[in-house]
Amino acid sequence: MSLVALSELLGATVRDATGSVRGRVREIAIAPQDHPTRIAYLIVNTTDGERVLPSSALKSCGATVRTVDNASDWDRYTASDGVLLLKRDLLDQQIIDVHGRKVVRVNDVELDSTPVDSHVVLSVLAVDVGTRGAIRRLMQGLVPAFTMRALLDKIPPRVIPWQYVDLLETDPARRVKLKIVYEGLSKLHPADIANIVEDLPPAERESVFETIDEEVAAEALEEIDPRVQVSIVESLDSDRAADIVEEMDPDAAADLLGDLTEQTSGEILEEMEPDERREVRQLLEFGEHTAAGRMTTEYVAISDVSAVSDAVEALKSFEGSREALVTIYLHGISYKLVGAVPLVKIAISPPSTPLRELSEPPVSCAPDTPDDEVAALFDKYNLVTLAVVDEHERLSGIITADDVITMLRHRR
Amino acid sequence: MPTKFSLKSWKARIALLLAVIGPGFITANVDNDAGGIFTYSLAGAQFGYTLLWLMIPLTISLIVVQEMAARMGAVTGKGLSDLIREEFGFRLTFFVMVTLVVTNFGNVVAEFAGIASSLELFHWSKYIVVPVAAFVVWALVVRGTYQSVEKIFLAASGFYICYIVAGLLAHPDWKAAAFATVTRPEAAGIRNYSYLTMVIAIVGTTIAPWMQFYLQASVVEKGVTARQYRASRWDVILGCIFTDVVAWFIIVACAATLYANGHHDIADASDAAQALRPLAGEYAYLLFAAGLFNASLFAASILPISTAYAVCEGLGFESGLDKKFHEAPVFYWLYTVLIVAGAGVVLFPRLPLIYVQYITQVANGVVLPLVLVFMLLLTNDRELMGDHANSRGFNIVAWTTVAVMIVLTVLAALTRH
Repeated sequence: MSLVALSELLGATVRDATGSVRGRVREIAIAPQDHPTRIAYLIVNTTDGERVLPSSALKSCGATVRTVDNASDWDRYTASDGVLLLKRDLLDQQIIDVHGRKVVRVNDVELDSTPVDSHVVLSVLAVDVGTRGAIRRLMQGLVPAFTMRALLDKIPPRVIPWQYVDLLETDPARRVKLKIVYEGLSKLHPADIANIVEDLPPAERESVFETIDEEVAAEALEEIDPRVQVSIVESLDSDRAADIVEEMDPDAAADLLGDLTEQTSGEILEEMEPDERREVRQLLEFGEHTAAGRMTTEYVAISDVSAVSDAVEALKSFEGSREALVTIYLHGISYKLVGAVPLVKIAISPPSTPLRELSEPPVSCAPDTPDDEVAALFDKYNLVTLAVVDEHERLSGIITADDVITMLRHRR
Repeated sequence: MPTKFSLKSWKARIALLLAVIGPGFITANVDNDAGGIFTYSLAGAQFGYTLLWLMIPLTISLIVVQEMAARMGAVTGKGLSDLIREEFGFRLTFFVMVTLVVTNFGNVVAEFAGIASSLELFHWSKYIVVPVAAFVVWALVVRGTYQSVEKIFLAASGFYICYIVAGLLAHPDWKAAAFATVTRPEAAGIRNYSYLTMVIAIVGTTIAPWMQFYLQASVVEKGVTARQYRASRWDVILGCIFTDVVAWFIIVACAATLYANGHHDIADASDAAQALRPLAGEYAYLLFAAGLFNASLFAASILPISTAYAVCEGLGFESGLDKKFHEAPVFYWLYTVLIVAGAGVVLFPRLPLIYVQYITQVANGVVLPLVLVFMLLLTNDRELMGDHANSRGFNIVAWTTVAVMIVLTVLAALTRH
């Protein structure tokens, strides 16, 4: 096997089986539908127009490309949406480096040519995002090949293996044909996805949020800068936006919808499931900078006559965010909040223990408590969650510590 | 409820004001930087009203070019250097970026020279003020306090109105000035080296290459989309007109004071300050110093960082103030070197400060066609711009600007000696 750079292959002369020069390489194509890494064909500029040189006919690849067949066998090239053209779609474009968790620009592409039987198999190995590729691009054709090789050998490579590359494509139809699903990106931590997305141009952001799983999209969206959130959600179809907003924490969803124009948020609410819509609507009515505006309505609360085993059942069936799980709230007569049990106590107590024995007096606040008082309560009582109760002391929601941290950081 | 209504209309008014003061207006204000003030002043002092003919075609050209940059930003959501890289490959991008760094470095030097000249009026030594200013600028941006200071800079830019008032109070020959604005230039000019370079400098300082990168980046940063672009277009157009109205008055004020009194050259800032005498009398130098200082510091805060962004984005280096130094070393080094070296050059003893501020604007004018050609090729790319590609009228104006600037540069080179 040997390495060959895309920039070396582009413009290389092509000699067919007869040994005579037939043209120059103009493009290199992958057909992701057939094989994810293997080169499908080369497009060659010949005196008789653009021709398709199938990779199965390649004899050797380098400064000169040799083939096993005759130029007369090559078909005429017609543009196709379903292939990835390495020069047009990859070289100098931005990609997502899944491993390094950032957006980078491609300086060159490394291909691997391995001899198999009488021909070579050419496949994409990695993209070069470092100085080596940059210098090669800059110097190519200006210095002799051996000088260049000596120079490049001195520069440490900075490449991203092909399996860690997520391509960006803004055209939805083409995305399907090229099988671009942002697979690597979706597996990252939502906060990393958020960072990457913030670095992308608007159209690319939109393409990511159109494509990735709704749940992942929702978690990532919560982490994104509010201004960028708004522009992303406005660019999406309202039903897609609704699908994502439904998966968000109700408090984050309410904050987001509150920032949108009335028309857009109305359209999204319209498309949402009735249950989620009701929750978000309620939250929307509170001021954003009060306890009620910060709280989420997804929490675990059970009757104060239950036992640890009941609490475990309640935890199992809970679908809200993990942050809300750390405290189990207890309600007594007419749903009044009477106690709070930390998750740790549940974990270390026998299943039959009555929850009352584990309960601590709950710390709570009114819905209209302003932000800084909420923060003060967290500080004073070292809270992880804070209960928000209505005028009848019934639990209306909880505020989690992560929301308080976000609020404090944004105030700076 | 009448109170609520008035509150609403008051809010609407503020909103309208903020909508107008967008990237275009900020760019326009930075446009009248140290190089700009001195170039326009020199133009008025050396040539009286005779260069005023330039202002109308220049304004049209400025509007067309800035509008192209803003439109590209809104439609593609990408910076100018990103687009050059994606459409023209690494080698050309590298070439453009090297040119940009060299020209912008000249402009950074000019801004620090502006700071030095303004404080020279108080007899403050440049060996102290320039390093201090360099450090303030560096820290302002890296610490992220720039955003909050920007509004102060902008408000202080109201200083330019002083030129309009001074121009009015100087009792210029309105008829001659108005006539000079609409008349066609004298043909003899093309054989005069200093006349030619002055024209190049005026164009170069008004349509500075770096401003196109900065404006496009600001439009992208603000998140303006193709749909909201209409409002931004007005921001750009009004900004351009404001820039050139101020430029016109600086030239007229200098022509009516300096040139009219046979004072045909500007050796230092105190000469240039004379143009404000009709307004401020013996305190003219105070006013001038404050204005020049603000303009220089404003531009010095923007230029190095916008250059670092443009270069790193084009060449694919990590960039952004949210990154740590070791995560984006090229970005921070380039930024730091531009400031330290730019301020360092000004510290050379006996450096002709005014000449530096003037000659860097000539360099801007010489480099302008290069940047414009790329902008034109990009804005005419239908695959990129779709329905927002350039109209024919825009192309004619912009290509004419390119051609004229090349011809002027060649002529200037030929008439030298």
